[in-house]
Amino acid sequence: MLHGIVLRSTYPHARILDVDAQAALEFPGVVAVVTPELVKQRTHPFKPGRYAAGLKTPIPEYATAIDRVRYLGEPIAMLAARSPSIAEDALELIRVEYDPLPTVVDPWKAMESSAPLLFEELGSNVAWKGAVSYGDVEEAFKSADQVVRENLRTHRYSSTPLEPLACLASFDNVSHSLNVWCNGQNPEVVYDALGEALSLEDYRVVIPDIGGGFGQKIHLIRKYIVLTSLMALHTERPVKWIEDRSEHMLAAGQSCGMDFEVEAAVKKDGTVLGLSIKEVDDVGGSVSTLTIHFTNKLNNLFSTYKVKNLRLEGRSVVTNKCPVVPNRGIGKPSMCFIWERIMDRIAEALGMSPAEVRSVNLVQPDEFPYSAPNGNIYDSGDYPELLKRALKNIEFEKVKSEQEKAREKGRYVGVGVVVGLEPGGRNAARDMAIFPDAKEMPGAGGVEGATLKLKRNGTVTVVLGAPSCGQFHETTTSQVVAEVLGVSPEQIHVESSWDSGLSPWGIASSNTGNNFHLYDIGAVHGAALQLREKVLKLAAHVLEISPEKLTIEEGIVSSNESPGKSVTFKRLGKVAYGNQSDIPEELEAGLHTTYYYKFPHAEPFLLPDTQGRVRAQFTFSAAAHAAVVEVDVETGRVQVLRYVIISDNGTILNPGVVDGQIYGSVAHGISVALGEGFVYDSEGQLLTLTLTDCSKASTMETPKVEIEHYQVPSPFSVLGQKAAGEGAAIPSPAAIASAIEDALQPFGVKARELPLSSEVIWRLLNR
Amino acid sequence: MKQLIQVKINGRTYQEEVEPRVLLSFFLREQVGLTGTHVGCVVGECGACSVLLEGRLVKSCLVLAVRTDQKEITTVEGLAKEGTLHPIQEAFVEHYALQCGFCTSGMVLAGHHLLTQNPDAGEEEIRQKLAGNLCMCTGYTQIVNAVGSAAKAYKK
Repeated sequence: MLHGIVLRSTYPHARILDVDAQAALEFPGVVAVVTPELVKQRTHPFKPGRYAAGLKTPIPEYATAIDRVRYLGEPIAMLAARSPSIAEDALELIRVEYDPLPTVVDPWKAMESSAPLLFEELGSNVAWKGAVSYGDVEEAFKSADQVVRENLRTHRYSSTPLEPLACLASFDNVSHSLNVWCNGQNPEVVYDALGEALSLEDYRVVIPDIGGGFGQKIHLIRKYIVLTSLMALHTERPVKWIEDRSEHMLAAGQSCGMDFEVEAAVKKDGTVLGLSIKEVDDVGGSVSTLTIHFTNKLNNLFSTYKVKNLRLEGRSVVTNKCPVVPNRGIGKPSMCFIWERIMDRIAEALGMSPAEVRSVNLVQPDEFPYSAPNGNIYDSGDYPELLKRALKNIEFEKVKSEQEKAREKGRYVGVGVVVGLEPGGRNAARDMAIFPDAKEMPGAGGVEGATLKLKRNGTVTVVLGAPSCGQFHETTTSQVVAEVLGVSPEQIHVESSWDSGLSPWGIASSNTGNNFHLYDIGAVHGAALQLREKVLKLAAHVLEISPEKLTIEEGIVSSNESPGKSVTFKRLGKVAYGNQSDIPEELEAGLHTTYYYKFPHAEPFLLPDTQGRVRAQFTFSAAAHAAVVEVDVETGRVQVLRYVIISDNGTILNPGVVDGQIYGSVAHGISVALGEGFVYDSEGQLLTLTLTDCSKASTMETPKVEIEHYQVPSPFSVLGQKAAGEGAAIPSPAAIASAIEDALQPFGVKARELPLSSEVIWRLLNR
Repeated sequence: MKQLIQVKINGRTYQEEVEPRVLLSFFLREQVGLTGTHVGCVVGECGACSVLLEGRLVKSCLVLAVRTDQKEITTVEGLAKEGTLHPIQEAFVEHYALQCGFCTSGMVLAGHHLLTQNPDAGEEEIRQKLAGNLCMCTGYTQIVNAVGSAAKAYKK
């Protein structure tokens, strides 16, 4: 097997004049180098996906840069050698002749007419500009008693799975078949990329259990999968490529830096009539995920509030930084940040308490299912109760009364309470809401299958439609199958590898968008019901009793009426696969079933209408977060003293699993709020190349979190379940910002930006 | 020029020729075939590659393999005995103290090392001693709980 290594750009912006691999190829142990020339010759550019549909002029993007690099670390070539160390040594021998170009790092500077252009063919660095508008925003502002304004900013960060990107490709040049193993989270992206770029028909993708994804392994990974596969085709030998940590930080994708101008039209009683938001997205040096952070805001555009009028205008600006990718909530944490920051600002303007303003505007429990103006249909919830419990658990009044005394002693303590949504189950047609004239609506709705088999030995195998990323999918699905089928979970094996040839996949088969709870659970539940029918029919025949008179427990099918009359799954396995003469003709052979779960089934808003209304996601978990922080005003350091969450994830199937998702996502949200993230200098050099520089939180920085569950089952899902994944990363930055601002109220400091690192807070205090 | 080293790993002695520049983490994974040791950063930040070297907790990406000549190493594979998980591993399973599993072997060894030193460690000490191991999935709560609950197995 060969070991691949990627040659990356050492400039943030430059023309590539020449790539000379001769010296590297002569190095003992080096087998091949895939240069931009070969990439251009043997592959096709990726088709512009739904996030690049806004481009006026198509920009062909290949697996590597071809004649120009636009961000530091952009892949240029791949070298393959007999060992990883030979590959590392030889990489230095590839000579790239660059013609450095002026760089532009700040999106506001990139919009200036004098700015260097990243893509001349676009005529501007504003690669997309558009808007969505719901209700009558103009009228809302006309009827307002007051307009509250604020400018907000969220920064670039990443969820940084500890397992880097990886790919292994093997090509058989007789059968012309390609086998690829990789850790892409979204099979559709990988599968389509290989088909498009390499024009292959016979290929198979296997995605073994992934070491963390968070969205980071959805998009840019396709470049490396195509590159590794091209190397396998080129050398006709298996090739393995594993990204290293600094490559990951440089070039595996970051969240989008976003700026917002927000205006809220409000009545004196706190009612929000409308919201107007102008957004600038810093999308980095590629157009392939141009609108991804904008359209993801459609998922929680109205958050938990019954506001009727909203306009969101966006501009996606290309800069010489790493391209943007989803991670843990993508876009939604910022949308929640906008809502919760403006709610606090409205409270201040009207002299109301932050909780009061929210209460006036929350969707009420008797309004479910609630239709939001942008097409989302909220399934269930009780937002006032979440808020009430959060205020109680955090002891809001007590903290406020102690705050005064603490200030007298020079201690600055603050409390913030926010509410947020966690949408679940994605509808990829959502992205076309900003392109009302689009002819093609990719990825509408949600379909995914599950295959169940009672095997010859009486145990059960489950094959899921989507890959697994470390969220206990195996545990939760086997629990559901065990319950429906009447067998102990120990007798169930869930396949942890996804296989393009064998897994029952559909449009929703992706470990992204909080899909699992809806699709994998819906599919295994349906499949288990079907398999149960088959088992009962066969058992009825064996026992000569009608199926209605049978029960299944612990893998034994027994008669309700004649105790002792029973047959085990083990015996049924032997009958089903061992002896055709035991099976009557009318019974289907085998104890095997595949069931495809579909949701939603039809209109409304499965596809965007002419007004851009679309069901962006299908279930809506919600949570109230409350934080108490203390700020050291000498250093700007923030300590989280208490953190409380009241979480509604619908019916909880496994509390340990759901708690784990909440603990994990809130820890990341808090870390991001307090300083974790990427920093570039003005030349486009990334200053945060390591986990430490990026300020990843350890056990010491991560506060203890108190979770209370408040379950409001979904009427839409099979077991009342709602999403539990990225959720707590959505409201947590807003909760922290709110608490910090409250703590620093005597100094008049406003928390308008993320991160609120010690440095940022110190600067705000010493302005 | 390769060097011959003799090293005892999980109770078994290996004689291996190794290049002087090879890191212990890669030696364990690629040469010995013990892939339970994970490589998350190669610069000593994440702790996924933690192993016990002469009873000390080390990050194997910061140790050259040649430096382990005549020494004893325990990797995560050395914890389970005869197909039965070690109590600290059981505790991780019980408490949902892992998600993607990439940091888990390092976390388990760090917890094991701590409890071997001090079975009475409280939450603060557990948090301190696990601070060299990063996890991106769990937010640490269930890991800290698991280590705390495993302590009883270390008390004689």
